[in-house]
Amino acid sequence: MSIINYVNKEIQFKIVYYGPALCGKTTNLTYIHSQVAEAHKGELVSLATAADRTLFFDFLPLNAVVVKGFKTKFQLYTVPGQVIYNATRQLVLRSVDGIVFVADSQWDKMEENIESFKNLEENLVRQSTSLDQIPYVLQYNKRDLSNPAPVHYLDFILNNRNVRVPSFVGIATTGQGVFATLNAISRLLLQKFARENEIASAKQQASQPAYAPASTALSGIAAAAARR
Amino acid sequence: MQALAILTVESAERLLKALEEYLDHSEASYALIIDRGGAILSQLGEIPPSVDVTTLSALAAGSFAATRELALRVGEAEFSALHQQGKNSQILICSIQDEAMLLTVFGPKTTLGLVRFYSARAVKQITTVLERARGESRIPIDLGHEVTSGLQDVFHEPTPRS
Repeated sequence: MSIINYVNKEIQFKIVYYGPALCGKTTNLTYIHSQVAEAHKGELVSLATAADRTLFFDFLPLNAVVVKGFKTKFQLYTVPGQVIYNATRQLVLRSVDGIVFVADSQWDKMEENIESFKNLEENLVRQSTSLDQIPYVLQYNKRDLSNPAPVHYLDFILNNRNVRVPSFVGIATTGQGVFATLNAISRLLLQKFARENEIASAKQQASQPAYAPASTALSGIAAAAARR
Repeated sequence: MQALAILTVESAERLLKALEEYLDHSEASYALIIDRGGAILSQLGEIPPSVDVTTLSALAAGSFAATRELALRVGEAEFSALHQQGKNSQILICSIQDEAMLLTVFGPKTTLGLVRFYSARAVKQITTVLERARGESRIPIDLGHEVTSGLQDVFHEPTPRS
C-alpha cells in the first residue's frame, strides 16, 4: 500500500519484480541502477547466494518526479525465482503496490512461466489481495536468445485474464524494454493513486457543509509543517 | 489490522515526540519506525551520513519478517524482538503490533537492558499514535495530468543502448 507522508511531502510505492528462476529480474534492476543518475537512486542491495542467485531479495530505491511539491519514491524489489524459496517470496510481496512479471521467452521455459504466474496469484491470495486489485505489467524477456516464443503466444498464456495488461518485449542485458516496463508500472501506480485521490476528494466535498469556508485541511498542515 | 497509509503532520509529530523521549531515556544513537513492508514512517537521532536509512529499513523489514516465519515454525506467533550485536554497534528491532517495527541502533554509551526497557514503553506510545492515525482521512493530492496521463515519463533513461 502506498504511504503518504505529509511532513516529508513524500509518496512511497513498492514495486516487486516477480517471475521464474533466471528470467532476468535482477538484471532489470542492475540495468536501471546503471542508468539512473546518482541523485535519484540509492544503493542496489542484493542478498544473493555465492553463485549469484537471489536468496532473499534485491532492493533498489529510486526517487522519481516531484509533483505539486510531493516527492514520489519507488522501492524496487525482486523475489528469488527458485521454487524452494516460496516463503521468501511471500515476505517480499508484503505491502506491495505494483508488480512486474518477468517471463522468460524461451519455448522450454513456458511451464516455469505459468507455474510462477500461478504462484504469484496464490501468494497474493494469502495476503488477501489479487491481481484485480494490484496494478501489474508483463515483460517478455530474453528476446535475443534463439527461438523465442512469439509475443502473441506469451500473451495467450500469461495475459489472458479479464483485463489485458501492458506487456513489453525485453532484452534486460542490453536494457531493451527495461525502462518502458518500469515507466508503465510507475504510471499505473500514479494513475491508481490519482483515482483514489479523486474518491477521497469527492468524499470530503460531500461531507463538507455548503457554507463551509474555502480553507482546507491542507492549509493547516502546510502551516504546521512551516512551524517545524 | 489495516495497514497505515497516511501520515499527517499531527501524527508524524506525535511519532517524533515518542522517539525523542525514547532516545533521551535509552541513550540510543537513533531509531526508526518502519512499516512491515520496509517503508519509513518516522526517524530520529544521530544518523551517520554514511547510513542509507531507506536500505536499512528494507533490510530490517526483511530480516524481521524472516524471523517471524522462523517463530511460526517453532510454534510461536512471533518473536517480539530481534537483537543483533556487533563490535561497536547493536541493533534492536521490536514489533509494533502487526504492522510496524521500532528499529533502534545503539553503541557502547548504553546497554541492551536499558534500551529494551525503554523500547517497551516507546512501543506502547507508538501503538497508540498509529491506532489513532489509522482513523485519519486522506487529504487529496493532485498529481497533475502530465504524469498520470503518460505525457511525461516517470523515469528517464539517459543513454539508451540499442
